[in-house]
Amino acid sequence: MGDFLQKLLNGLAIGSVYAIFALGYTLVFSILRVINFAHAAIFTVGAYLTYALTGARFGFNGILKNSALPFELPFWLALLGGALGAGLLGIVVEQVAFRPLRKRGSDPLLTLVSSLGVAIAVVNIVQYLFGAENYSYQDPLGGLPGKVDIGPAGIRTVQVVIFVVSMVIVVALTLLINRTRIGKGLRAVAEDADTARLLGIDTDRLVRLSFFISGVLGGLAGTLIAMSVGIAGPSFGIAFGLKGLAVIVLGGLGDIPGAVVGGLVIGVAEAFVPDSLVSYREAVAFVVLLVMLLVRPQGLLGRAQVQKV
Amino acid sequence: MGRTTLSPATARSTRSRGWRSRLPVALAFSVLLTACGAGTEDDGGNAATDDTGENSGGTSGDPILIGIGVAQTSPVALLGQEEVVGAKIAETFFNDKEGVNGRPIKLVFEDTGGDENGAINAFNALIGKGVVGIVGPTLSQQANAADPEAERAGVPVLAPSNTAKGIPQLGDYIARVSAPVSVVAPLAVEQALSMDPAISTVAVAYAQNDAFSSSETATFQETVKAKKLNLATVQTFQTSDTDFTAQANAMLGKKPQLIIVSGLAADGGNLVKQLRELGYKGLIIGGNGLNTTNVFPVCAKACDGVLIAQAYSPAYDNAINKEFLAAYTAGQKKQPPQFSAQTFTAVQVFVEALRTLDKEKPIKDMDLKTLRTELNQAVLKGKYETPLGPIAFDPEGEIIQEKFYVAQIKMGADGQSGEFTFVR
Amino acid sequence: MIEYLNSYGSLIVTMVLGAVLGLSLYLPLMAGQLSLASPGFYALGGYVAAILSTRTFATDGTYPVPLVLLEMLVAAVLSGALAVVVGLSALRLSGIYLALATIAFVEILRVLSLNLEITGKAIGIFQIPQPFGTKLSYLWLAGPLLLAAGLFTWRLERVRTGRAFAAIREDELAAAAMGIDTTRSKVRAFVIGGVLAGLAGVVAAHLTNTWNARQGTFDASIIYLSFVLIGGSRTFLGPIAGGMALTYLPEWLRERADSALLPEWAGQFLRDGRLIIYGVLLALSCVFFPRGFITPELLERIKRLAFRRRRPPSAQPKPESAA
Repeated sequence: MGDFLQKLLNGLAIGSVYAIFALGYTLVFSILRVINFAHAAIFTVGAYLTYALTGARFGFNGILKNSALPFELPFWLALLGGALGAGLLGIVVEQVAFRPLRKRGSDPLLTLVSSLGVAIAVVNIVQYLFGAENYSYQDPLGGLPGKVDIGPAGIRTVQVVIFVVSMVIVVALTLLINRTRIGKGLRAVAEDADTARLLGIDTDRLVRLSFFISGVLGGLAGTLIAMSVGIAGPSFGIAFGLKGLAVIVLGGLGDIPGAVVGGLVIGVAEAFVPDSLVSYREAVAFVVLLVMLLVRPQGLLGRAQVQKV
Repeated sequence: MGRTTLSPATARSTRSRGWRSRLPVALAFSVLLTACGAGTEDDGGNAATDDTGENSGGTSGDPILIGIGVAQTSPVALLGQEEVVGAKIAETFFNDKEGVNGRPIKLVFEDTGGDENGAINAFNALIGKGVVGIVGPTLSQQANAADPEAERAGVPVLAPSNTAKGIPQLGDYIARVSAPVSVVAPLAVEQALSMDPAISTVAVAYAQNDAFSSSETATFQETVKAKKLNLATVQTFQTSDTDFTAQANAMLGKKPQLIIVSGLAADGGNLVKQLRELGYKGLIIGGNGLNTTNVFPVCAKACDGVLIAQAYSPAYDNAINKEFLAAYTAGQKKQPPQFSAQTFTAVQVFVEALRTLDKEKPIKDMDLKTLRTELNQAVLKGKYETPLGPIAFDPEGEIIQEKFYVAQIKMGADGQSGEFTFVR
Repeated sequence: MIEYLNSYGSLIVTMVLGAVLGLSLYLPLMAGQLSLASPGFYALGGYVAAILSTRTFATDGTYPVPLVLLEMLVAAVLSGALAVVVGLSALRLSGIYLALATIAFVEILRVLSLNLEITGKAIGIFQIPQPFGTKLSYLWLAGPLLLAAGLFTWRLERVRTGRAFAAIREDELAAAAMGIDTTRSKVRAFVIGGVLAGLAGVVAAHLTNTWNARQGTFDASIIYLSFVLIGGSRTFLGPIAGGMALTYLPEWLRERADSALLPEWAGQFLRDGRLIIYGVLLALSCVFFPRGFITPELLERIKRLAFRRRRPPSAQPKPESAA
């Protein structure tokens, strides 16, 4: 029983990491029907920004070697700053890579590659400026103990924090989309952008807003995950990018609670891979993705797509 | 893809003639694209692959080129950059001491990046630039791919940090100054046992996508079994992993008193950190991939106490190590790490072998191809007094080294600064 | 010139292989299917060559070329078979869903190759025998491969099968309604693409003498995709030009970095930052050249320029026909 519980906790812990990443992804998809690959880069930038805002020093690689900001913020403020900065970057990405293509009515495929180009560029700019070294935050949890015991099983405190935060975000997002005027506007744009514009809704502003929120979520996710595993170099977000795809398809492309469900399911599935097959763990997410696409492409929580003729 | 405009395929079929003029033009365009970029090359990179012996036939002021092919970008650069530092110190050091009997040496750097293809390209670039020998690559994984290129071109290679099994056996031109894991790794286990004789259960984890880690873990596991300890579990991970919850929990479930980690700096450091956060209080041994201060930012306070076997000690008392130590600390303000010392040693071996060779047969009369082959033989025959201690090579190119050590990481109170304290 | 070619031999062959891989992605695209599966077949082809040449046909010294051709045959058969399986199962999917399915396929193959004994697990297979002494000589294999693939694709556009592809791309439902066997066509396109990628893999494995799971990754799919999208997605010359140019680009940038004319930070930028440039180029070309550089319209213009010169000076220039 203890073993089962431990594995379940492990699964939920890693699952909520995936979920947090996927939330920003799926938000943009739900509004614009495009996958924003640059999300992985925004995620990375958020983590780096938080690091810089805590006044920490960068290492001896990169153009800005050995630099540090002249002030220090307490961790939670730095986290906020990092997330907001990431949100702003999200808007920049939208203006540069998405807007021109949207105006032209281009293929979503083209938007995907364009956002990928931005992702590659951003990640490498970070590397050019700061080098490829690892960083971790100085004692982000304050004095909290490193581990929390739940019955016979233990889990790292930071993982509990991530889980709680992802739950909070999903509730907040769902409330935003379903209960507020802005949310209604977003849903209108998602349904049919042209009609929404005709009805007087400022689609451009709403699109920018959704990218901002997605960026904030991405930056937040980046910082949270960096709290857990450290910043492993500028490309530490790219690995999440791929798994994130599996997560959002599983949950249903564009479905916000789906992103969390998808993340948790994949996390738990990975945790329960038997020890003898442990090196196949990486394939679990993609097997799930493949099976879902063949069996139920709309995901667990999505609605079946009707093909319009 | 489904656009309702006129499909270009059908449109084109109404103009079926004209392909004849299009095809060669477009092909010419592609070729032009490549040749055009090529035509603006400066010729510095096209040194002889033929043997007209450019450098060696030049004036006595012509520098002798030694290639440095290590990882300067990608996460592997965390190890590679220490090698670059060591190489540069060697260049200044030996040029200040009259280089090779009056001729200076010049280091040519090519970045191998972190993967095999990058290493192959870097080595080929160096060979093309006319180097007399190559120091590199950083990872054993890369050596398996790149060394055969040097072997085929007849260029001697001195590996500063490849410790996996089988590297010198890759070819007659391949040698290394980094002692193999089979020699170095068991020392850490012995040290752990002497620090805690009550160790009975051991858990091992290694990066399965890295040739060196896989090789090192085999040695660790053999040593554990030879010491009659219980090898409770062997966990695998990838060097690109960051979350080790599953592996950490699996290991801790077996209640080990000793955990051995074979990986690279980023992944290994993270695993150590997560093990400590989950409450593991026993000893941890880190492999050679964690043997860098670049692991401190990753595990911070959690790095404290990790044991790592060493092939180099800054405290070793011979003349050249003292000079190396002085040069290093003046520039870097910290103790020299093993990788820097090993790279310095590699350059030193080349320089001293060149000096010896030159005294027997003047190298400026040799063409490049002959010089490379003669240098290779001279390297293998020589004995050298280096920062690593006195070393020599066996006929296959394997290093013969006497002194090894074990160090333990001691982190400062702030969790940021730390050092390697030698315990044996 | 010959010396230059020799030292750049590896790059030139890689460029040619890049063009082939661009075509391998272009083919399913002709039938409207965005398949990112090429790296999977490329890796498979490479492993076939690696395993056969290091275990089954192990020889000393130079590896005989006919054996390489045999490996290509085996690789083609295996890739084709796998492509049929994948193609048939993925038929219901389209657009982004198909792309995701192919991404998943590539990742699963990658993890498999990381774990099987026969593929050398995570370390891969080393010391693959070489059929040629110099890298440039690999053009004897890669060149004909590209030529054949290019000619084949070009002809395909004119033949019934190719037109079926185009019809499906424009509107699958209408095509089916017109009696085109969409299933067969789509699988066919997918299979040809897969086989091409597999053949390229065989050559690449011998070229780089080492093969492992890192050859068939998602990053590679995006790179091949950019060959087609930037090179030109509407004509077979697009992926060829794109493949060559974009394989050459990082090297070209690296060389610029070594030039003595630049200040240190700029040189550093070109060296380490060449991926920044690559990414920006990718994004920019998607925005400004959505159909790629080499479009049928561009080719028309080149053709017309060529024709204009041939016309006798006294003739009246004909009015331009609608593009």
